Amino acid sequence: MPSWLPITSLLIALVGLGASIYLTYEHFTQNATLACSANSVVDCAAVTTSPQSRVFGIPVAVLGLVFFVGIIPALLPVAWRMNTKLVRNGRMVASAIGVCFVFYLIYVELFDVGKICEWCTGVHILTIALFAVILFGTATLDPLDD
Amino acid sequence: MTTKTKRDVREEARARMAAQRRAEARRAYQIRAGIAVLVVLAVVGIIVGVYFSRNTAKPAVGRAPASAQLVAAVTGVPAATLDTVGKGKVDTLSKSTSGESVRMVDGKPLVFFMGAEFCPYCAAERWPLIVALSRFGTFSNLSTTFSSSTDTDPNTPTFSFHGSSFTSKYITFQPVEVETNQPASGGGYTALDNLTSDQKAIVDKFDQGGGFPFVDFGDQSIGTAVSYDPALLAGLTHDQIAAQLKDPTSAIAKAVLGSANAYTAEICKLTNNQPSDVCSSPAATAYSGG
Repeated sequence: MPSWLPITSLLIALVGLGASIYLTYEHFTQNATLACSANSVVDCAAVTTSPQSRVFGIPVAVLGLVFFVGIIPALLPVAWRMNTKLVRNGRMVASAIGVCFVFYLIYVELFDVGKICEWCTGVHILTIALFAVILFGTATLDPLDD
Repeated sequence: MTTKTKRDVREEARARMAAQRRAEARRAYQIRAGIAVLVVLAVVGIIVGVYFSRNTAKPAVGRAPASAQLVAAVTGVPAATLDTVGKGKVDTLSKSTSGESVRMVDGKPLVFFMGAEFCPYCAAERWPLIVALSRFGTFSNLSTTFSSSTDTDPNTPTFSFHGSSFTSKYITFQPVEVETNQPASGGGYTALDNLTSDQKAIVDKFDQGGGFPFVDFGDQSIGTAVSYDPALLAGLTHDQIAAQLKDPTSAIAKAVLGSANAYTAEICKLTNNQPSDVCSSPAATAYSGG
């Protein structure tokens, strides 16, 4: 296993966790300030307080928080050293689900809300980057024992 | 060659073949991983590309001179109606500053408004602002327009201060509409009025984010958000909204006139409660507690 793999994946996830914590805080504490941004496209307040900021009643920011909290244990060095199907496949499936949700969120931001939140975009980029690192990192590991 | 040596040779051959299979498996996996990442990036690119290539920015209805009847209805709301509404139903009030001296222009306290014609929140806020200011002076050349047709609360009926004037012996009113409601190529909306250096200094001091609607009452009180939900005005014409202002029990009257009364109270603080009939009225004292 290359030494960069656990450190890089963990770092990406921790930064993503930090951004998710901020977005969760903003979601619950920011009164929807009904004002227009000087930049009519980038408007974090509009995105994080929009009706689309909840999925099945759960704030999207909280879902992001749960995603990073849940995947971090699978990114620890000890987890990478485990050569088990459960950990390896679970890590990849979780990151794939995260990416699929990113597709949905980008679509909603642009086509429903019509605004972009730079913090949300940052989390999207981190999720895709984590997906790439997990995929390529897994490729460097020894094949699973049958 | 001994049997052991032949076995060693076979085992070495098997080990080499196994290593080769593992290397091939890794290479195949890396190719699949690369394709997967490219697919992800392509999907994101397609979503973003479709959005920016749609050009759904529909032109909104532009400015038109406000009819005399409409102007009369909005600038001449009866004092009794305003008194009856009192505080009305206002969601957000302007916030008082601390330690600031009253900003004066031309020897009179300044009321400064920064908005944009596309902005639905500005659209809503101009109604109470015009009602309140009309108690201290006279508007000319007001135009009607609508907020953006593609933003939230689309096509909210409103006025535009662009090209208008306001005369008053009590206050100086400076409105700036920084953008139109017409989409600009490349996104956003076309630019309209420019801020003077003094106005820019006000915005830099009290509205670092540059958002609007922004209202500065002589640097004594600052409003940085709409005071009521623009959705109240949805689907109505200007004349229908003006008609609603006559009924103090209507939701629009409570929101618009309640906000206007809050603004009146702020302006009265700047004018030393002049004119006295306005500033001592129940409408003005509803918020000032006088």
